[in-house]
Amino acid sequence: MIRRGVQLICLLFAVLPAGAVEETRDRLDFRTGILPLLTKAGCNAGACHGAAVGQGGFRLSLLGYAPEEDYASLTRERGGRRLDRDTPAESLFFRKGSGQLDHEGGRKIKRGSAAEQTLLAWIAAGAPFGPSDLRVTQIKVEPEDTLLPAPDQTVQLRVVAELSDGRREDVTLLALYSSNDDAVADVDQAGLVTTRDRGLTSIMVRYSGQASAARIAVPFGDADIASADFTPNNFIDEKVLAELRRLRLPPSPLSGDAEFFRRVHLDLIGRLPDAVAVRAFLEEPPSDEKRRRVVAALLASDAFVDFWTLKFGDWLLLDGKRGSEEATRAYHDWVRGQLARNRPLDEFVRDLLLAQGETTHVGPANFFNLATDPRDLGEYVGSMFLGAQIACARCHAHPADRWTQDDYHAFAAYFARLSRQGETLVVSARGEVEHPKTQKPIPPRPLGADRAEVGHQDDRRAGLASWLTASDNPFFARNLVNRVWKHLLGRGLVEPVDDVRPTNPASNPALHDALAREFAQHGFDLRWLVGTIANSRTYQLSSRTTEGNRHDDQLFSHAYLKPLPAQVFADAVAQVTGVSDEFEGQPKGTQAVQLVGAQTPSYALDVLGRCSRQQSCETPGSASGGLAASLHLINGSTINDKLRDSPLTRLLAADLLNRERVNDLFLRAFGRLPSDVEWTWWTQHVATTPDRPAAAEDLLWALLNSREFAFNH
Amino acid sequence: MNHPAFHPGQRCDGVSRRDFLHLGLLTSFGLSVADLLRLQAGAASPAKVRAKSCILLWLDGGPSHLDTFDPKPDAPAEVRSPFADIATSVPGIRICEHLPQTAKVMRDVALIRSLTHELGNHDTGTRYLLTGHRPTPALEFPSLGSLVALETGFGEAMPPYVAIPGDGVGGNSNAARSGYLPGAYSAFSVGPDPARVRDLNPPEGVSFVRSEERRAMLARLDGFSREVEEGAATRNRDAYYEQAYRLLASAEAKAAFDLDRETPATRQRYGHGKLGTSCLLARRLVEAGSRFVTVVDKGWDTHQQISRELPDSRFAGSGKLPSLDRAYTALLTELRERGLLDSTLVVMMGEFGRTPKLNATAGRDHWPRAGFACLAGGGVRGGQVIGATDAHGEVPIDRPVSPPDLAFTLLKLLGVDPTRELTTPSGRPVKMLSDGAFIEGLV
Repeated sequence: MIRRGVQLICLLFAVLPAGAVEETRDRLDFRTGILPLLTKAGCNAGACHGAAVGQGGFRLSLLGYAPEEDYASLTRERGGRRLDRDTPAESLFFRKGSGQLDHEGGRKIKRGSAAEQTLLAWIAAGAPFGPSDLRVTQIKVEPEDTLLPAPDQTVQLRVVAELSDGRREDVTLLALYSSNDDAVADVDQAGLVTTRDRGLTSIMVRYSGQASAARIAVPFGDADIASADFTPNNFIDEKVLAELRRLRLPPSPLSGDAEFFRRVHLDLIGRLPDAVAVRAFLEEPPSDEKRRRVVAALLASDAFVDFWTLKFGDWLLLDGKRGSEEATRAYHDWVRGQLARNRPLDEFVRDLLLAQGETTHVGPANFFNLATDPRDLGEYVGSMFLGAQIACARCHAHPADRWTQDDYHAFAAYFARLSRQGETLVVSARGEVEHPKTQKPIPPRPLGADRAEVGHQDDRRAGLASWLTASDNPFFARNLVNRVWKHLLGRGLVEPVDDVRPTNPASNPALHDALAREFAQHGFDLRWLVGTIANSRTYQLSSRTTEGNRHDDQLFSHAYLKPLPAQVFADAVAQVTGVSDEFEGQPKGTQAVQLVGAQTPSYALDVLGRCSRQQSCETPGSASGGLAASLHLINGSTINDKLRDSPLTRLLAADLLNRERVNDLFLRAFGRLPSDVEWTWWTQHVATTPDRPAAAEDLLWALLNSREFAFNH
Repeated sequence: MNHPAFHPGQRCDGVSRRDFLHLGLLTSFGLSVADLLRLQAGAASPAKVRAKSCILLWLDGGPSHLDTFDPKPDAPAEVRSPFADIATSVPGIRICEHLPQTAKVMRDVALIRSLTHELGNHDTGTRYLLTGHRPTPALEFPSLGSLVALETGFGEAMPPYVAIPGDGVGGNSNAARSGYLPGAYSAFSVGPDPARVRDLNPPEGVSFVRSEERRAMLARLDGFSREVEEGAATRNRDAYYEQAYRLLASAEAKAAFDLDRETPATRQRYGHGKLGTSCLLARRLVEAGSRFVTVVDKGWDTHQQISRELPDSRFAGSGKLPSLDRAYTALLTELRERGLLDSTLVVMMGEFGRTPKLNATAGRDHWPRAGFACLAGGGVRGGQVIGATDAHGEVPIDRPVSPPDLAFTLLKLLGVDPTRELTTPSGRPVKMLSDGAFIEGLV
C-alpha cells in the first residue's frame, strides 16, 4: 500500500513534471498572464528556482505564490540585467530559459512556441506587472467524476479559471496535473487522462494558487452486481451501495453472529466479550434487532467511556508530559466526564478552545499545553479539528491546497493572546502574530473565510470557536465523522484523516457529505454516530473477501482487518488468562485502556505500538511492531508471565479434555466455538504431552499468539 | 491496491553476472561499445565490492558542520565556532578540539565537506538522506537499510537490517523504514537498552525444544483458521513471526546480541553511555552477519548554546561530542584491529548542517546547503577530504555531494545495484534510486 507522509504534502512540487507551454495568451499582466507560463515550464518548482534558497542565484517563489516578489526578482535584481526591454530576445532570463545560455535546467521555453512569443511580447511591452488586484479566484475541473469502462481508455480534462474581474478562461494547457495513483490512471501535462488498471483514483489539478481534483475510476468487474444480496440498513448503506454498483464491486455477505459480536465489542469498548455473553448471543436466532440491542448496550456501558477516553486522548495528544501529573489527571477526568455525559462534540471542542484558568483544576485548559507559539497551536487546531494540514503555509502558499501565508498567520492570530503564569492559562489583552513578510500584526481570521468572525471582545478565541463548531463549518463535522469512520471501518473516507484538502478527495464523497450532514443534524452526538455506523450493513459485512472484491481497499465492499491496538491487545490477554497487568503507580486491576496519559512505563505497550502522543499517530507506518513485537509475544512477559500465573492454566490442566472448558476458552479468545479440526489439534497435543500444566500453557500460548487473536476481523 | 506484484522472495545474488547479462542483451539490440562504456561510466564504482556490511551512525537532529568537521577559524566571530580547531593524523585536515581521538583516526576517514541539499525540515531532510529520493507524498520510499535487506533476504538467522535503539529518526518520520517495500524489510528495533536486548530467550521453564513445539502448534492452528484471511493485512505479522523464529533458532545469532561476552576493557573503550554501548552492539551484529546497522544518536538539533551543549560542560557525558569521539574512535579502531574495517563501511552523518551565523541564543538553526559525512572502511580511501565549503561554511565550492549521490555510493559500495528496477505494491515500476552518481575519488 502506498503511504503518504502528511508533512510531505509540502513537497508535492517535487514531483512536478515540467513541460513546454504552447498556449497563446492575449493578456500581458504578470500575475495571471506570465507567471502561469513560468510555473507550467517548471521554473519555480521546488527542485529549481522555487527552492527556498533559489537556484544559481535566482530565486522564485514556490509555484508562484508570491508574484510581487517574483516580479521584483525578475525585473530589479542584478540591476535589472535579467530583462532587456530593447532587445527582449537578448534578455538573460530569456536566453537561459530557452537554453541558449548554459542553464542547469535545460531548455524550458520551446523555440517558436506561443509561450515564447508571449514572454517576448511581455518584455517588449516593458515587462508590466499589470493590475495589482487581478487574480485567479477559483478553478473548475470538468468532468469532475469519470467512469471509464476499461484500462487504456482516455478522457480529456478541461480546466477553467475564474478571475477576480469576472472573466473565465480555459487554462487546460497551463494547469499542472498529477495522478494520486498512477497505477490506476496516468495524466499528461495537457490534462489527458489514461486509465491503466481497474480501480479508483483522482487527478490533482493546480493553477495559480488554486487546487482541485477530478475522480477517475474503472469498474472492478464487467458484470453488474446483484444488489439483492445487500439490503441497506440506513443511509450509509445506500451511499456505499451506489458506489459499489457504479464500480461493479460485489459486497461480501453479512458477517456471522460470532464475527459481528467480537468485532463490535473490540471496536466500541476495546474489550473481548465474555464467554457467557457470546453463548447467549449465538443461541438467539439471527436478527437485526438483536444486533441493534448489542450496539445500544455497548454504547451505554462504562467500558465505552473508558475506551473512547483513550481514543480521544490519542486524538488530543493528551500525554502527561506537557503538564504536571495533577493537571494531566484533571484533563483526562474532564474528557472522560464529557464522554460519560455524552456531551455534544461541538460543545466539547468549544470548551477546549475557550478554556482558561488553572490547568490543575480546569481540565480543558491543558489543551493549550500543546504549544506556546500561536502558530504551532494553529497547526494543531487545524489538524485535530479540521483535519487540515496548514503547516506548509507557514513559509509559503500550500502547494496542494488554497492556503496562503495570510490564511495561516491570520488563523494563528486567534492564539496570540494566551499566556501562562505557572500552571495557569491566562487570556491577556495584548499579543499579536506578525506576518513574516510585512512584520505587521495580522488580525485573526478563520481558514477560508473572507473576514474575521467578530468574537467576544476579551477573548479572540470566541470568534474561532463559534466559526469552527458551527453546523455549517465545511471541515468540522467532516473531520469528526472521518476519524470515527476510520476507527470502525479500518480506513478513513479521506486518508490520511488529518490531510483533508480538495486535492485528496474522499473515496466515497457522497457518503462523507451525508455522514457529516446527519451528524451535525443529530447535534454532534458521538453515540449516535458510532451507533449509526455500527448498525449499518456496511459495518457488518464479513471480512472474508470474494473473487470480485479482493482488490478493494477503499470502498468498503468487505470489512478490513484491523490489528488490535496495543492497549486492547494487552487487555485481551489479561481477559483471557484472568491475570491483569500491573502498572506502576496505578491501582490493581487498572486496564491498559484506562491509563491516564501515555507516560506510564510499559515495555509491552511500547513494543506493541501504543501512541506516544508526542505527535499525531494517524499517519500510517508507525515504528512499533515488527520483529521486536513478535519476539515479545513469543518469549516476553505479556503472554508468558500471565500463563504461569493464570488460574485458567491450572483449571485446564486439571482436566485438559473437558470439552466445555475448551469451548469456553475459544469463546473467550476468538468469540466462537472450536471447529472439529481445532478440537482434534487440542486432543492430539494433550495426548503427546505428559506434563499437563505445560500442555495447558502451550495450548493457551498458541491461542494468544495466533493470527486470529491478533486481528479484529 | 490492485496487483500486489511485489515478490518478497526476490534476491539478487550475483550483481556482476546479472549486469553482464544485462549489458549483453543491450549489445544485441544494437548499442555500440561506446554506448556501453558511457553507461558504465555513469555508474563509476569500486572495481571490487569489499563492504559486506554497513554501520550508519545517524546524528539525529542535524549536526553542526562548523563545530565539528568543517571549522572556519578565520571567519568572523558570529560565524566561527566557539571551539578551537586541532590538527589530525592527516596533514592539512583540521577538526574540532572536542574530537581529539577522532583526530587520530582520520587517516581511515574520507571526510565529505560538501554534502548539500535544500530540505531544511528534520522529516524531509532525513527522508532525503536515508532514502536517496526527494520525498514526495505520492510514494513512500524505502530506506537504504531496507534496500540492503531486500538484496540480502532472510535466509540467514541474523536480521539483515537492525536499528539501535529503533528506527524513529527525523522527528519520527518514516525515513528509516521500509517505504513501499513490505514491512518485513523494516529494521529490527532492538529497544531502549542496547546492553539488554529483550525476549531473545524462551521464558523461564520453557526449554528450547518446547519452544519449537509451540511454534509447530501455532503454525497448525493458524492454518486451520478461516476467520482471518491471509492477505496484505496479515503478511507483515506472518513475516515477523518467521524472522523471529529464524533468529531464535540460532544460538550464534542470539549470542551476537549479548554484550556480556565482551570484556570490561572493551566496554570501557566504547564508553558505558548509550552511544558507546550501541556502537559496540553494532560491531557485534555486523560481525555475526547483519548487513545494515543504524545507530541513532539523538540530540544534535542544537538551536541553543552550542558551547554548552556540545562539550561536557556540565558533567562527564553531558555533551554530544566527547561521547561521540570515544564511541566512533573505538568502533573504527576495533574494526581495524579485528580485520573487519575493510569489509565494514562506517558512515557518520545527520540530516543537514547548521546555519553559519550563530543565532541570538548562541545556537545554530537548520542549514541543508552545507553539511558533512564521514565515510570509513568498506574500501573507502581514508585520510582525504572530499569537497569544501566557502569561507563561512555556507555553500559547497568544490565537488558538491547530493543525498542521492551519497545513497548511490553507499549502495554501490555494498554491492547493491542502485539502478535496479523494483515494483511498488500498486504495480508501478520504480528504480531503487532515480538519481545520483558514485562519489569520485572515494575509493
